[in-house]
Amino acid sequence: MRSGRILVVAGKAVAVAALLTWSLVPIAFVVMSSVKPGQEIFAVPTVYAFEPTLEHYAELWRRWGQFFDGLIDSAIITAGATALAIIASTCAGYVYSRNSSRFLNASVMFLIVVRLIPPIVVTLPLFPLVNIMGLNDTHIVLMVLYATFFVSLGTVLMRTFIDQIPRELDEAAQIDGAGRLTILRRVIVPLAAPGILAVAVFVVVFAWNEFLFAFVFTATKAKTAPLVISEMIGSIDGVDWGILFAASTTQLAPILIFVVLMNRYLVAGLTAGATKG
Amino acid sequence: MRTRSLAELMPLVAPVHILILSVIVLPSIFVIWLSVTESTYGQAPTWVGLANYARVLADPAFHGALWNTVVIVVFAVHIELAVGLLVALLFASGLLLRRLLLVAVLAPYAVSEVIAVVAWRYLFDPDAGPVTLALQAIGLPILDWSFEPVHAMILIGLLTIWLHLPFTFIILYAARLAIPSDLYEAARIDGATPLQAFRRVTLPLLGPAIVVALLFRYIFAFRIFSEVWLLTGGGPARSTEVVAVYLYQEAFSYNAFGTAAATAWIMVVASLLLAAGYVFLLRRQVTSNA
Repeated sequence: MRSGRILVVAGKAVAVAALLTWSLVPIAFVVMSSVKPGQEIFAVPTVYAFEPTLEHYAELWRRWGQFFDGLIDSAIITAGATALAIIASTCAGYVYSRNSSRFLNASVMFLIVVRLIPPIVVTLPLFPLVNIMGLNDTHIVLMVLYATFFVSLGTVLMRTFIDQIPRELDEAAQIDGAGRLTILRRVIVPLAAPGILAVAVFVVVFAWNEFLFAFVFTATKAKTAPLVISEMIGSIDGVDWGILFAASTTQLAPILIFVVLMNRYLVAGLTAGATKG
Repeated sequence: MRTRSLAELMPLVAPVHILILSVIVLPSIFVIWLSVTESTYGQAPTWVGLANYARVLADPAFHGALWNTVVIVVFAVHIELAVGLLVALLFASGLLLRRLLLVAVLAPYAVSEVIAVVAWRYLFDPDAGPVTLALQAIGLPILDWSFEPVHAMILIGLLTIWLHLPFTFIILYAARLAIPSDLYEAARIDGATPLQAFRRVTLPLLGPAIVVALLFRYIFAFRIFSEVWLLTGGGPARSTEVVAVYLYQEAFSYNAFGTAAATAWIMVVASLLLAAGYVFLLRRQVTSNA
């Protein structure tokens, strides 16, 4: 019996170690290699003890100024897309939570069905259209695209979260003479903050990391950080792995910290999003 | 009264629907028009009926891309589900520092496909990648993914599982936590072994969550683009191309918008069929439970 318990504990320890290796080793290697001396990155056997250096970051700064422009573009686009998605989803989620009619129910169904359309499909007509409108290579295109591909999930999530706020609070505010927008701003938004944060996590992670739309719709002025990194991989004969790791770490660090800090909202959002929409 | 209040609500619902209509729905409908015409840049489109569909469906490159996509959907998604289920059960069995471990398992969710490709290309570098060296050290075969199509597919599969395991795991873990512990208590009192409790309590009650996780992952795995594009570019010699890469090549490398549009609608219809199958399964589940 006792040895059985020890066996179970040992088995669990092995499983946890395997799981941590799987999840963290790729990330750890990116970060570790970014401060590894260049000649040791591809050393055989793999070098684990080395004198950390910032040479790759310095090189990155000197030779890839456009990467830092890319980070700024990514930040602008992420902020815009998140704001747009949150405002649109909260307003719509509020309506869907507090009202019901055949028309509204049908339009929720519509929001869910729309999620089935693969994003690459819309690049075909939007690519020439964006060119004609002169919006190619601008921040606004990616902001709108990123926000749009999350407003349907965002609306359904916000409805779920707002459903948990007692209607009596709206009614009390209404008796005090508050209009719909005031109720939304003063009552709903503060109490639905966890839902708003859950939507924010989804959009921020997506917009910061997205590749396909950035690849199709930007060229130089609005190029995002992942796209610049993909070009570093693409220069196949001249890949400078040290610089590549430095850029990857710089792009990854803020979003990883963000997800770690917001993990509760991410879990809540994923759970509600999968079961409700 | 009803119509007045609906009109009053409109401004609040409108932004979401305007965005979706103008960015997703109308462009998708326009893709139908593109798919029945022949058009390249600077040319007026001409009506060709279903010729584009016929051409795509007869194209050996499309067959290859479709086959690769189905292989990824079938293998990667099911392996991911099995692993996600095991991890969920491991977490539910009680772990030290559970919250910390949960965050560690979630970490890949934060990683861009681009960065993931950088990491995996390096780890599996056929000459000096740390994983390659480790595999050689313990006498296992290595992945020669830049030459061997099958090895490249395995690497794509591993990469996509790595990126999406957090999602599958969270869905299953949340569903597992929602199962009341009295059920396990009752099973234990009735003399059920842990395996019996798993088969008779856990598995049936996780059923809906498993279906949801699978459906989402089928649909998302079917659109796979970035991982393949950045890891192999569809090569060597188009052998690892998937449907989305095929579509991209047709449209943006060969300027064949007609066949690209036909491919796009084949993707939409396939996704709709997957979802319809899912709704059908859910209905059957609901009626069999009632």
